[in-house]
Amino acid sequence: MTSIERRGRVWGLVAEQAAARGRRVSAADVCAAVVPEVQVTGAWLSAGPDAQAGHLLQVTDEVARQIADLQLTLGEGPLLDASASSGPVLASELADGEWGSRWPAFGPAASQAGAAAVFAFPLVVGAIRAGVLGLYRDRPGPLSDFQLGDALVFADTATLLLLDAHERPADLNSYRAEIDQATGMLTEQLNVGITDAFVRLRAYAYVNDIQLADVARDIVARRLRLVLDP
Amino acid sequence: MDGQLLSDTFVELTDTMVADFDIIDFLHVLTARSVELLDVSAAGLLLADPRGELRVVAASSEAARVLELFQLQSDQGPCLDCFRSGQPVGCVDLSADPRWPQFAHQAQQAGFSAVQALPMRLRDQVIGALNLFRGTVGAFDPEVVHVGQALADVATISLLHDRSMRRTDTLNEQLQTALNSRVVIEQAKGKLAERLGIDVNQAFTLLRDQARNSNQRLSDLARAVVDGTLALPAPGGSPRASRAGRIRQP
Repeated sequence: MTSIERRGRVWGLVAEQAAARGRRVSAADVCAAVVPEVQVTGAWLSAGPDAQAGHLLQVTDEVARQIADLQLTLGEGPLLDASASSGPVLASELADGEWGSRWPAFGPAASQAGAAAVFAFPLVVGAIRAGVLGLYRDRPGPLSDFQLGDALVFADTATLLLLDAHERPADLNSYRAEIDQATGMLTEQLNVGITDAFVRLRAYAYVNDIQLADVARDIVARRLRLVLDP
Repeated sequence: MDGQLLSDTFVELTDTMVADFDIIDFLHVLTARSVELLDVSAAGLLLADPRGELRVVAASSEAARVLELFQLQSDQGPCLDCFRSGQPVGCVDLSADPRWPQFAHQAQQAGFSAVQALPMRLRDQVIGALNLFRGTVGAFDPEVVHVGQALADVATISLLHDRSMRRTDTLNEQLQTALNSRVVIEQAKGKLAERLGIDVNQAFTLLRDQARNSNQRLSDLARAVVDGTLALPAPGGSPRASRAGRIRQP
Protein backbone atom coordinates (compact mmCIF):
# COMPACT_ATOMS: atom_id res chain seq x y z
CA MET A 1 0.00 0.00 0.00
CA THR A 2 1.33 3.42 -0.89
CA SER A 3 1.42 6.13 1.73
CA ILE A 4 -1.16 8.16 -0.19
CA GLU A 5 -3.59 5.24 -0.16
CA ARG A 6 -2.87 4.71 3.50
CA ARG A 7 -3.50 8.35 4.36
CA GLY A 8 -6.72 8.30 2.39
CA ARG A 9 -7.88 5.12 4.10
CA VAL A 10 -7.08 6.46 7.58
CA TRP A 11 -8.83 9.74 6.80
CA GLY A 12 -11.89 7.77 5.67
CA LEU A 13 -11.97 5.77 8.91
CA VAL A 14 -11.78 8.93 11.00
CA ALA A 15 -14.48 10.62 8.91
CA GLU A 16 -16.74 7.55 9.34
CA GLN A 17 -16.53 7.93 13.11
CA ALA A 18 -17.57 11.56 12.83
CA ALA A 19 -20.43 10.72 10.46
CA ALA A 20 -21.69 7.98 12.79
CA ARG A 21 -21.90 10.59 15.51
CA GLY A 22 -23.43 13.16 13.20
CA ARG A 23 -20.81 15.84 13.58
CA ARG A 24 -17.86 17.43 11.84
CA VAL A 25 -14.60 15.54 11.81
CA SER A 26 -12.42 16.39 14.77
CA ALA A 27 -9.29 15.05 16.44
CA ALA A 28 -11.48 13.27 18.99
CA ASP A 29 -12.70 10.91 16.24
CA VAL A 30 -9.18 9.57 15.80
CA CYS A 31 -9.36 7.69 19.12
CA ALA A 32 -12.35 5.58 18.20
CA ALA A 33 -11.03 4.95 14.69
CA VAL A 34 -7.50 3.93 15.63
CA VAL A 35 -8.41 1.25 18.22
CA PRO A 36 -9.83 -1.48 15.95
CA GLU A 37 -7.49 -0.62 13.09
CA VAL A 38 -4.20 -1.15 14.92
CA GLN A 39 -5.69 -3.74 17.28
CA VAL A 40 -5.18 -2.03 20.59
CA THR A 41 -7.52 -2.11 23.59
CA GLY A 42 -8.02 1.61 23.99
CA ALA A 43 -6.75 5.08 23.18
CA TRP A 44 -6.60 8.60 24.55
CA LEU A 45 -5.78 11.96 23.09
CA SER A 46 -4.45 14.91 25.00
CA ALA A 47 -4.12 18.34 23.47
CA GLY A 48 -1.75 21.13 24.34
CA PRO A 49 1.83 22.21 23.75
CA ASP A 50 3.30 20.14 26.56
CA ALA A 51 2.12 16.94 28.12
CA GLN A 52 2.04 18.20 31.71
CA ALA A 53 -0.22 21.11 30.87
CA GLY A 54 -2.18 19.25 28.19
CA HIS A 55 -5.82 18.45 28.68
CA LEU A 56 -7.46 15.15 27.99
CA LEU A 57 -9.57 15.62 24.89
CA GLN A 58 -10.83 12.10 24.39
CA VAL A 59 -10.61 8.63 25.92
CA THR A 60 -12.12 5.40 24.60
CA ASP A 61 -12.55 3.72 27.98
CA GLU A 62 -11.95 3.99 31.71
CA VAL A 63 -8.55 2.25 31.62
CA ALA A 64 -7.29 4.74 29.03
CA ARG A 65 -8.46 7.57 31.27
CA GLN A 66 -6.64 6.09 34.24
CA ILE A 67 -3.38 5.63 32.30
CA ALA A 68 -3.49 9.20 31.06
CA ASP A 69 -4.24 10.52 34.55
CA LEU A 70 -1.59 8.37 36.21
CA GLN A 71 1.16 9.92 34.15
CA LEU A 72 0.18 13.41 35.16
CA THR A 73 -0.15 12.41 38.80
CA LEU A 74 3.13 10.51 38.90
CA GLY A 75 5.05 12.84 36.59
CA GLU A 76 6.46 10.00 34.48
CA GLY A 77 5.40 7.73 31.65
CA PRO A 78 5.41 7.27 27.89
CA LEU A 79 3.21 10.30 27.23
CA LEU A 80 5.68 12.63 28.96
CA ASP A 81 8.68 10.97 27.33
CA ALA A 82 7.10 11.19 23.88
CA SER A 83 6.36 14.84 24.45
CA ALA A 84 9.94 15.52 25.60
CA SER A 85 11.68 13.68 22.75
CA SER A 86 9.17 14.60 20.02
CA GLY A 87 9.37 10.95 18.98
CA PRO A 88 7.13 7.94 19.66
CA VAL A 89 7.63 5.79 22.75
CA LEU A 90 6.81 2.13 22.14
CA ALA A 91 6.60 0.30 25.46
CA SER A 92 5.42 -3.08 24.21
CA GLU A 93 5.84 -4.80 27.58
CA LEU A 94 5.48 -2.69 30.70
CA ALA A 95 6.41 -5.61 32.96
CA ASP A 96 9.74 -5.91 31.13
CA GLY A 97 12.72 -4.84 33.24
CA GLU A 98 13.85 -2.06 30.95
CA TRP A 99 10.53 -0.24 30.97
CA GLY A 100 10.05 -1.05 34.63
CA SER A 101 13.27 0.75 35.54
CA ARG A 102 12.43 3.66 33.25
CA TRP A 103 9.11 4.30 34.99
CA PRO A 104 9.31 2.73 38.46
CA ALA A 105 6.03 4.30 39.58
CA PHE A 106 4.04 4.43 36.36
CA GLY A 107 4.85 0.87 35.19
CA PRO A 108 3.29 -1.02 38.10
CA ALA A 109 0.40 1.46 38.39
CA ALA A 110 -0.47 1.10 34.70
CA SER A 111 -0.29 -2.69 34.95
CA GLN A 112 -2.58 -2.51 37.97
CA ALA A 113 -5.02 -0.41 35.95
CA GLY A 114 -5.08 -3.06 33.21
CA ALA A 115 -2.48 -2.02 30.62
CA ALA A 116 0.32 -4.39 29.58
CA ALA A 117 1.68 -2.30 26.69
CA VAL A 118 1.52 1.43 26.04
CA PHE A 119 2.41 3.32 22.85
CA ALA A 120 2.62 7.10 22.83
CA PHE A 121 2.81 9.24 19.70
CA PRO A 122 3.65 12.92 19.96
CA LEU A 123 1.47 15.10 17.74
CA VAL A 124 4.22 17.28 16.34
CA VAL A 125 5.27 19.04 13.17
CA GLY A 126 8.86 20.03 13.84
CA ALA A 127 8.75 22.57 16.66
CA ILE A 128 4.94 22.63 16.66
CA ARG A 129 3.48 20.61 19.50
CA ALA A 130 -0.22 19.87 19.40
CA GLY A 131 -0.61 17.01 21.89
CA VAL A 132 -0.07 13.29 22.31
CA LEU A 133 -1.99 10.22 21.07
CA GLY A 134 -1.77 7.28 23.47
CA LEU A 135 -2.65 3.64 22.80
CA TYR A 136 -2.68 0.71 25.20
CA ARG A 137 -3.08 -3.04 25.07
CA ASP A 138 -4.28 -5.31 27.85
CA ARG A 139 -1.78 -7.90 26.66
CA PRO A 140 1.93 -7.31 26.02
CA GLY A 141 3.31 -7.28 22.51
CA PRO A 142 4.70 -4.89 19.94
CA LEU A 143 2.82 -3.19 17.14
CA SER A 144 3.58 -4.88 13.83
CA ASP A 145 5.33 -2.78 11.19
CA PHE A 146 2.00 -2.34 9.44
CA GLN A 147 0.20 -1.34 12.64
CA LEU A 148 2.98 1.10 13.48
CA GLY A 149 2.68 2.67 10.03
CA ASP A 150 -1.06 3.05 10.51
CA ALA A 151 -0.63 4.44 14.03
CA LEU A 152 1.79 7.08 12.74
CA VAL A 153 -0.67 8.12 10.06
CA PHE A 154 -3.51 8.30 12.61
CA ALA A 155 -1.23 10.51 14.70
CA ASP A 156 -0.46 12.72 11.67
CA THR A 157 -4.19 13.06 11.04
CA ALA A 158 -4.89 13.94 14.68
CA THR A 159 -2.14 16.56 14.58
CA LEU A 160 -3.62 18.33 11.58
CA LEU A 161 -7.14 18.13 12.99
CA LEU A 162 -6.01 19.61 16.30
CA LEU A 163 -4.20 22.47 14.63
CA ASP A 164 -6.68 23.38 12.02
CA ALA A 165 -10.22 22.59 11.05
CA HIS A 166 -9.59 23.06 7.32
CA GLU A 167 -8.55 19.53 6.62
CA ARG A 168 -8.31 18.23 3.11
CA PRO A 169 -7.12 14.72 2.34
CA ALA A 170 -5.27 16.15 -0.67
CA ASP A 171 -2.94 17.96 1.70
CA LEU A 172 -2.12 14.78 3.58
CA ASN A 173 0.53 13.94 1.03
CA SER A 174 4.14 13.26 1.71
CA TYR A 175 6.68 15.53 3.24
CA ARG A 176 7.71 18.74 1.49
CA ALA A 177 10.60 20.75 2.91
CA GLU A 178 9.16 23.94 1.40
CA ILE A 179 6.08 23.69 3.59
CA ASP A 180 8.26 23.71 6.70
CA GLN A 181 10.48 26.49 5.34
CA ALA A 182 7.45 28.60 4.41
CA THR A 183 6.01 28.05 7.89
CA GLY A 184 9.24 29.37 9.39
CA MET A 185 9.19 32.38 7.05
CA LEU A 186 5.62 33.22 8.04
CA THR A 187 6.59 33.49 11.72
CA GLU A 188 8.58 36.57 10.70
CA GLN A 189 6.20 37.93 8.03
CA LEU A 190 3.23 37.78 10.37
CA ASN A 191 5.11 38.10 13.65
CA VAL A 192 3.44 35.01 15.11
CA GLY A 193 4.57 31.73 16.68
CA ILE A 194 5.27 28.63 14.62
CA THR A 195 1.89 27.02 15.34
CA ASP A 196 -0.05 30.10 14.21
CA ALA A 197 2.16 30.38 11.13
CA PHE A 198 1.32 26.78 10.20
CA VAL A 199 -2.42 27.37 10.65
CA ARG A 200 -2.34 30.62 8.62
CA LEU A 201 -0.42 28.96 5.80
CA ARG A 202 -2.95 26.17 5.55
CA ALA A 203 -5.88 28.54 5.86
CA TYR A 204 -4.55 30.65 2.99
CA ALA A 205 -4.23 27.56 0.78
CA TYR A 206 -7.72 26.42 1.77
CA VAL A 207 -9.49 29.75 1.31
CA ASN A 208 -7.87 30.36 -2.06
CA ASP A 209 -8.24 26.71 -3.10
CA ILE A 210 -4.56 26.27 -3.94
CA GLN A 211 -2.43 23.24 -3.13
CA LEU A 212 -0.51 23.76 0.09
CA ALA A 213 2.76 22.76 -1.59
CA ASP A 214 2.22 25.40 -4.30
CA VAL A 215 1.59 28.18 -1.78
CA ALA A 216 4.68 27.12 0.15
CA ARG A 217 6.84 27.09 -2.96
CA ASP A 218 5.74 30.62 -3.87
CA ILE A 219 6.48 31.90 -0.39
CA VAL A 220 9.95 30.33 -0.29
CA ALA A 221 10.70 31.71 -3.79
CA ARG A 222 9.47 35.10 -2.53
CA ARG A 223 6.83 35.37 -5.21
CA LEU A 224 4.21 35.59 -2.48
CA ARG A 225 4.13 37.32 0.88
CA LEU A 226 1.29 36.94 3.33
CA VAL A 227 0.14 40.10 5.04
CA LEU A 228 -2.49 40.58 7.71
CA ASP A 229 -5.50 42.65 6.78
CA PRO A 230 -5.57 45.60 9.16
CA MET B 1 41.03 2.05 -2.16
CA ASP B 2 42.23 2.31 1.40
CA GLY B 3 42.21 -1.29 2.65
CA GLN B 4 42.60 -0.39 6.30
CA LEU B 5 39.76 2.13 6.18
CA LEU B 6 37.62 -0.41 4.33
CA SER B 7 38.05 -3.11 6.94
CA ASP B 8 37.54 -0.57 9.74
CA THR B 9 34.32 0.54 8.06
CA PHE B 10 32.97 -3.01 7.88
CA VAL B 11 33.60 -3.38 11.58
CA GLU B 12 31.96 -0.02 12.22
CA LEU B 13 28.88 -1.06 10.23
CA THR B 14 28.40 -4.29 12.15
CA ASP B 15 28.83 -2.71 15.56
CA THR B 16 25.17 -2.01 16.16
CA MET B 17 24.68 -3.79 19.46
CA VAL B 18 26.24 -1.03 21.55
CA ALA B 19 24.03 0.51 24.20
CA ASP B 20 23.95 4.02 22.75
CA PHE B 21 23.43 2.92 19.14
CA ASP B 22 21.78 5.63 17.07
CA ILE B 23 20.36 4.72 13.67
CA ILE B 24 20.87 8.18 12.19
CA ASP B 25 24.52 8.39 13.27
CA PHE B 26 24.98 4.90 11.87
CA LEU B 27 23.59 5.86 8.47
CA HIS B 28 25.64 9.06 8.43
CA VAL B 29 28.72 6.90 8.90
CA LEU B 30 27.65 4.85 5.89
CA THR B 31 27.37 7.92 3.63
CA ALA B 32 30.57 9.55 4.93
CA ARG B 33 32.65 6.38 4.53
CA SER B 34 31.18 5.80 1.06
CA VAL B 35 32.59 9.16 -0.03
CA GLU B 36 35.97 8.48 1.58
CA LEU B 37 36.33 4.97 0.21
CA LEU B 38 34.69 5.05 -3.17
CA ASP B 39 36.12 8.21 -4.70
CA VAL B 40 32.71 9.82 -5.22
CA SER B 41 31.72 13.45 -4.60
CA ALA B 42 28.73 12.81 -2.37
CA ALA B 43 26.43 10.11 -1.05
CA GLY B 44 22.83 10.16 0.09
CA LEU B 45 20.56 7.64 1.72
CA LEU B 46 16.83 7.06 1.50
CA LEU B 47 15.03 4.85 3.98
CA ALA B 48 11.44 3.61 3.98
CA ASP B 49 9.39 5.16 6.79
CA PRO B 50 6.89 2.77 8.48
CA ARG B 51 4.14 4.93 6.93
CA GLY B 52 5.25 3.54 3.57
CA GLU B 53 7.02 6.55 2.15
CA LEU B 54 10.70 7.12 1.49
CA ARG B 55 12.56 9.69 3.54
CA VAL B 56 16.01 11.25 3.29
CA VAL B 57 17.79 10.16 6.46
CA ALA B 58 21.46 10.78 5.77
CA ALA B 59 23.69 12.56 3.28
CA SER B 60 27.38 13.37 3.11
CA SER B 61 26.64 16.97 2.09
CA GLU B 62 23.74 19.39 2.00
CA ALA B 63 23.83 19.36 -1.82
CA ALA B 64 23.31 15.60 -1.80
CA ARG B 65 20.51 15.92 0.75
CA VAL B 66 18.69 18.50 -1.32
CA LEU B 67 19.03 16.34 -4.40
CA GLU B 68 17.62 13.31 -2.62
CA LEU B 69 14.72 15.43 -1.42
CA PHE B 70 14.18 16.66 -4.95
CA GLN B 71 13.80 13.09 -6.20
CA LEU B 72 11.11 12.42 -3.62
CA GLN B 73 9.27 15.63 -4.45
CA SER B 74 9.39 15.19 -8.21
CA ASP B 75 8.77 11.45 -7.81
CA GLN B 76 11.52 10.56 -10.27
CA GLY B 77 15.17 9.63 -10.19
CA PRO B 78 17.60 6.72 -10.03
CA CYS B 79 17.22 6.25 -6.26
CA LEU B 80 13.47 5.82 -6.53
CA ASP B 81 13.84 3.38 -9.42
CA CYS B 82 16.45 1.49 -7.42
CA PHE B 83 14.22 1.29 -4.35
CA ARG B 84 11.18 0.20 -6.33
CA SER B 85 13.00 -2.46 -8.36
CA GLY B 86 15.43 -3.55 -5.64
CA GLN B 87 18.14 -3.45 -8.32
CA PRO B 88 21.14 -1.14 -8.83
CA VAL B 89 20.41 1.78 -11.15
CA GLY B 90 23.19 3.85 -12.69
CA CYS B 91 23.69 6.71 -15.06
CA VAL B 92 27.12 7.51 -16.51
CA ASP B 93 26.19 10.86 -18.04
CA LEU B 94 23.26 12.85 -16.69
CA SER B 95 23.42 15.32 -19.60
CA ALA B 96 22.43 12.55 -21.99
CA ASP B 97 19.90 10.54 -20.03
CA PRO B 98 16.21 10.75 -20.93
CA ARG B 99 14.89 8.75 -17.98
CA TRP B 100 14.64 11.51 -15.36
CA PRO B 101 14.80 14.93 -17.08
CA GLN B 102 13.99 17.02 -13.99
CA PHE B 103 16.35 15.10 -11.76
CA ALA B 104 19.16 15.20 -14.35
CA HIS B 105 18.80 18.96 -14.61
CA GLN B 106 18.80 19.47 -10.86
CA ALA B 107 21.75 17.13 -10.33
CA GLN B 108 23.83 18.96 -12.93
CA GLN B 109 22.95 22.28 -11.31
CA ALA B 110 24.38 20.85 -8.09
CA GLY B 111 27.57 19.86 -9.92
CA PHE B 112 26.94 16.13 -10.38
CA SER B 113 27.40 14.35 -13.73
CA ALA B 114 26.99 10.67 -12.88
CA VAL B 115 25.04 8.72 -10.29
CA GLN B 116 24.90 5.15 -9.01
CA ALA B 117 22.03 4.00 -6.82
CA LEU B 118 22.44 0.80 -4.79
CA PRO B 119 19.59 -1.00 -3.03
CA MET B 120 19.60 -1.62 0.71
CA ARG B 121 18.08 -5.03 0.51
CA LEU B 122 17.96 -8.32 2.33
CA ARG B 123 16.32 -11.05 0.25
CA ASP B 124 12.83 -9.73 -0.65
CA GLN B 125 12.88 -6.81 1.74
CA VAL B 126 14.11 -3.48 0.36
CA ILE B 127 14.49 -0.93 3.14
CA GLY B 128 16.10 1.92 1.22
CA ALA B 129 18.77 2.96 -1.25
CA LEU B 130 22.32 4.30 -1.06
CA ASN B 131 23.15 6.81 -3.77
CA LEU B 132 26.58 7.78 -4.98
CA PHE B 133 27.09 11.03 -6.89
CA ARG B 134 30.15 11.94 -8.94
CA GLY B 135 31.20 15.22 -10.52
CA THR B 136 32.68 13.67 -13.65
CA VAL B 137 31.05 11.82 -16.54
CA GLY B 138 31.85 8.14 -17.09
CA ALA B 139 31.12 4.64 -15.88
CA PHE B 140 31.69 3.83 -12.23
CA ASP B 141 34.61 1.49 -11.63
CA PRO B 142 33.12 -2.01 -11.14
CA GLU B 143 35.12 -2.31 -7.94
CA VAL B 144 33.50 0.87 -6.60
CA VAL B 145 30.03 -0.49 -7.35
CA HIS B 146 30.94 -3.83 -5.81
CA VAL B 147 32.33 -2.37 -2.59
CA GLY B 148 29.50 0.20 -2.40
CA GLN B 149 26.96 -2.62 -2.60
CA ALA B 150 28.87 -4.56 0.05
CA LEU B 151 28.73 -1.56 2.41
CA ALA B 152 24.99 -1.18 1.77
CA ASP B 153 24.48 -4.92 2.35
CA VAL B 154 26.38 -4.96 5.62
CA ALA B 155 24.47 -1.92 6.88
CA THR B 156 21.14 -3.50 5.89
CA ILE B 157 21.92 -6.80 7.57
CA SER B 158 23.07 -4.96 10.69
CA LEU B 159 19.76 -3.10 10.85
CA LEU B 160 17.50 -6.06 10.05
CA HIS B 161 19.25 -9.17 11.23
CA ASP B 162 18.98 -10.79 14.58
CA ARG B 163 17.09 -8.04 16.26
CA SER B 164 14.66 -8.43 19.07
CA MET B 165 11.33 -6.67 18.71
CA ARG B 166 12.38 -4.29 21.44
CA ARG B 167 15.28 -3.22 19.24
CA THR B 168 13.06 -2.70 16.21
CA ASP B 169 10.97 -0.42 18.38
CA THR B 170 14.06 1.57 19.39
CA LEU B 171 15.09 2.01 15.75
CA ASN B 172 11.61 3.22 14.87
CA GLU B 173 11.58 5.65 17.79
CA GLN B 174 14.94 7.08 16.76
CA LEU B 175 13.98 7.32 13.09
CA GLN B 176 10.78 9.25 13.84
CA THR B 177 12.57 11.57 16.26
CA ALA B 178 15.24 12.29 13.66
CA LEU B 179 12.70 12.93 10.92
CA ASN B 180 10.93 15.43 13.14
CA SER B 181 14.26 17.12 13.98
CA ARG B 182 14.77 17.62 10.28
CA VAL B 183 11.42 19.42 10.10
CA VAL B 184 12.54 21.72 12.93
CA ILE B 185 15.69 22.54 10.94
CA GLU B 186 13.62 23.41 7.84
CA GLN B 187 11.36 25.65 9.94
CA ALA B 188 14.41 27.39 11.41
CA LYS B 189 15.91 27.87 7.94
CA GLY B 190 12.72 29.61 6.82
CA LYS B 191 12.55 31.84 9.88
CA LEU B 192 16.19 32.90 9.58
CA ALA B 193 15.96 33.41 5.82
CA GLU B 194 12.99 35.71 6.19
CA ARG B 195 14.43 37.64 9.10
CA LEU B 196 17.80 38.26 7.47
CA GLY B 197 16.61 38.62 3.88
CA ILE B 198 18.71 35.69 2.65
CA ASP B 199 17.79 32.45 0.89
CA VAL B 200 17.15 29.18 2.71
CA ASN B 201 20.48 27.66 1.69
CA GLN B 202 22.38 30.60 3.14
CA ALA B 203 20.25 30.28 6.25
CA PHE B 204 21.26 26.62 6.53
CA THR B 205 24.95 27.51 6.26
CA LEU B 206 24.53 30.11 9.01
CA LEU B 207 22.78 27.63 11.27
CA ARG B 208 25.32 24.89 10.64
CA ASP B 209 28.30 27.20 11.26
CA GLN B 210 26.72 28.55 14.41
CA ALA B 211 26.05 25.02 15.66
CA ARG B 212 29.68 24.06 15.03
CA ASN B 213 31.08 27.20 16.62
CA SER B 214 28.97 26.85 19.73
CA ASN B 215 29.37 23.06 19.82
CA GLN B 216 25.60 22.56 19.80
CA ARG B 217 23.56 20.01 17.96
CA LEU B 218 22.07 21.52 14.82
CA SER B 219 18.59 20.32 15.78
CA ASP B 220 18.84 21.89 19.27
CA LEU B 221 19.97 25.20 17.82
CA ALA B 222 17.19 25.08 15.23
CA ARG B 223 14.60 24.48 17.93
CA ALA B 224 15.89 27.45 19.93
CA VAL B 225 15.58 29.61 16.78
CA VAL B 226 12.01 28.52 16.11
CA ASP B 227 10.88 28.63 19.74
CA GLY B 228 12.30 32.13 20.05
CA THR B 229 14.52 31.23 23.00
CA LEU B 230 17.61 32.32 21.06
CA ALA B 231 18.16 36.04 20.46
CA LEU B 232 18.29 36.61 16.69
CA PRO B 233 19.85 39.48 14.75
CA ALA B 234 17.51 42.36 13.92
CA PRO B 235 15.45 41.93 10.74
CA GLY B 236 17.52 42.59 7.64
CA GLY B 237 14.75 43.75 5.33
CA SER B 238 13.35 40.95 3.28
CA PRO B 239 13.21 41.23 -0.51
CA ARG B 240 9.80 42.31 -1.81
CA ALA B 241 7.58 39.60 -3.15
CA SER B 242 5.88 39.95 -6.50
CA ARG B 243 2.46 39.59 -4.89
CA ALA B 244 0.95 39.86 -1.47
CA GLY B 245 -1.62 37.41 -0.14
CA ARG B 246 -3.97 39.00 2.32
CA ILE B 247 -5.20 37.05 5.26
CA ARG B 248 -7.68 38.15 7.86
CA GLN B 249 -6.80 38.95 11.42
CA PRO B 250 -8.09 36.15 13.61
